[in-house]
Amino acid sequence: MTRKAAPPKADARDRLRRVLFLVPYAVRHPGVPVRDLARRCGVSEKQILEDLDFLLGVGCPPFAPDDFLDLYVEGDRVHVALHQSFSRPPRFTESEAAALAAAARALGGEGRERVVRALREAVPKDRRAIFEELLACIFAGSPPAKDSLIGRIEQAIAERRALRIRYFTATRGEESVRVVHPYTLAQRLGHWYLWGHDEGRGKALPFRLDRIRECAVDDKRFEPPTDAELTRGRLFSEASGPPVKLRLGPLAAAWALARPGQWRVLKRDRKGGAVVEVPGVSDEWATRFALSFGGDAEVLGPPSARRHFGDAVRRALARYP
Amino acid sequence: MQKAERLLDLAALLLRASEPVSWREIQEQFPDDYGGSGEAAIRKFERDKAELLELGIPVRWVGGDEDLSAGYLVDKEDFYLPDLKLAPEDLALLYLAGSAALAQRAFPYARDLAHAMNKLSFAARAPGASEVAAVAALQLSADDADEDARAESSSRLEALSAAVAAKKRVHIVYLGAERRVRTERDVDPYGLYQRGGAWFLAGFCRLRQDIRSFHLARIVSVEVNPASPRTPDFTVRKGFSLADLATRESWEFGVHAPVRCRVRLDGPASPEERDAFGPRAVWKEADGRAVVEVEAQNQEALLRHVLSLGDRAEILAPRPLREKARKVLAALARRLS
Repeated sequence: MTRKAAPPKADARDRLRRVLFLVPYAVRHPGVPVRDLARRCGVSEKQILEDLDFLLGVGCPPFAPDDFLDLYVEGDRVHVALHQSFSRPPRFTESEAAALAAAARALGGEGRERVVRALREAVPKDRRAIFEELLACIFAGSPPAKDSLIGRIEQAIAERRALRIRYFTATRGEESVRVVHPYTLAQRLGHWYLWGHDEGRGKALPFRLDRIRECAVDDKRFEPPTDAELTRGRLFSEASGPPVKLRLGPLAAAWALARPGQWRVLKRDRKGGAVVEVPGVSDEWATRFALSFGGDAEVLGPPSARRHFGDAVRRALARYP
Repeated sequence: MQKAERLLDLAALLLRASEPVSWREIQEQFPDDYGGSGEAAIRKFERDKAELLELGIPVRWVGGDEDLSAGYLVDKEDFYLPDLKLAPEDLALLYLAGSAALAQRAFPYARDLAHAMNKLSFAARAPGASEVAAVAALQLSADDADEDARAESSSRLEALSAAVAAKKRVHIVYLGAERRVRTERDVDPYGLYQRGGAWFLAGFCRLRQDIRSFHLARIVSVEVNPASPRTPDFTVRKGFSLADLATRESWEFGVHAPVRCRVRLDGPASPEERDAFGPRAVWKEADGRAVVEVEAQNQEALLRHVLSLGDRAEILAPRPLREKARKVLAALARRLS
């Protein structure tokens, strides 16, 4: 066996971290397809093959034939003959554990401090103090709802049990009871959503977590979603109807355009003001949004949105005789 | 020998050894790398050891005694990722939180987070439904939003994450919102927080000589102090709490001395409306109307919040702020007619 030099451009540190996962993963899943490894590691298949090539040169002194790592690819599948003690990945580094812990705290649930403790224990002993220090430097948001509510949703997802929820629909201003097969949770533009199959409506829909008033885990179990269903799944369907057009003053534009969102800037004036278009939002949203800039923004169109805005302004003004 | 290869070889050697490996033996096994007797070889080995530690491979020196020879070892107990022994719902919490954060792309230590998510499949015997849910979460956000803008903000976030961890001072070019002026400043980065879907850097601003927040999207460029990367540039001020800063309402950022303000809302306030006024608001409800009292240090911000509630709410006190609300609405009404 000959030693091979690593390709010059590869990020050495990233590669090391990748192979420290890749080897044990292939040990645990004999014959794992190269494609799966690539997807898990978020790199190309070519990169994985280069990693495997690199690993052929790695071993344990004194480098007798049996002292080398031995991974081979057979018909696009990866097998491990000799793993040289890399049979499990290393513990979490402090930044890996801290990032995960910060994410867990932001989602919440009854188990959140339990998982933070478990993550701490999974960091090498003498790095735990640094883990805690680092965790205090990341705040990924306040939990979107009460811990008990999130806890039940997490349990239902883990056990594939239906959820009975009392849900507030903002556009209709009313509450209704739904039975949902919870598939997953996702975050978008600062809001958390439960995404799952609504039994009553017969399709997968998003439910904003802060609008779930109550929820109970049902005894009924559900079948996991098919790959096809997941591939088609989007948190929101394509925006329908004409986009809302807003004029933003310089201050409003600076604030608004820094926020995450699907803006299209139509015009920009010299002072920094802008005319923007936002697809797929309600008239009500546009009004609230424009008013949140305290007079530095207005809704221009379409006519229904402009009317909604005008009515809201006049009615609000009537409160200040 | 390439460094990546050397590090793995070294790890393999120390992992396989049943007893501590002496420095002399390491030198013999890696003659090209640590050969010679000089300080340079030891320093090179120490740097490699530090890098291994950063990869999660703790190399330890043990002094010898009667039974054991002195040398380096990797404590297997302290190396292999253990089973986290979490209940299914707690594991779901980790998977869901981690994948939702990854789907955002812009998250502090995003690369580390991706590695952590991979390792998670070893941290439990049967992740089952949770792993499927995590894949679904990533899938849902697959082709969401503007890829270029995300790539740009995630690279800034990555630089800042590294600076926060290493406590290195950063030089930023910042585009202020209020006056829309570009300023350059040195900041001691204390932490990163998310609010309303956007990330902020919190730190001690050396220009303003105070703790400030910087909206990531308005940070035009970041330069991390390149001098002595392993030596911290600052210590965090006593009493600083990132969570306190991150959960402060917009009207609680000190622009002026605190002023008690009262706002009236029609009908019983919904849980979201209550949340939006923050945990320090005092609520009184009577006759189907709610009055909320807050202490504002930035009345303009409170005004904007109340206006966003439309005709559901009005400012009762103080009088000048009430008058301001009326003026703003009257000006808008004039433009509309």
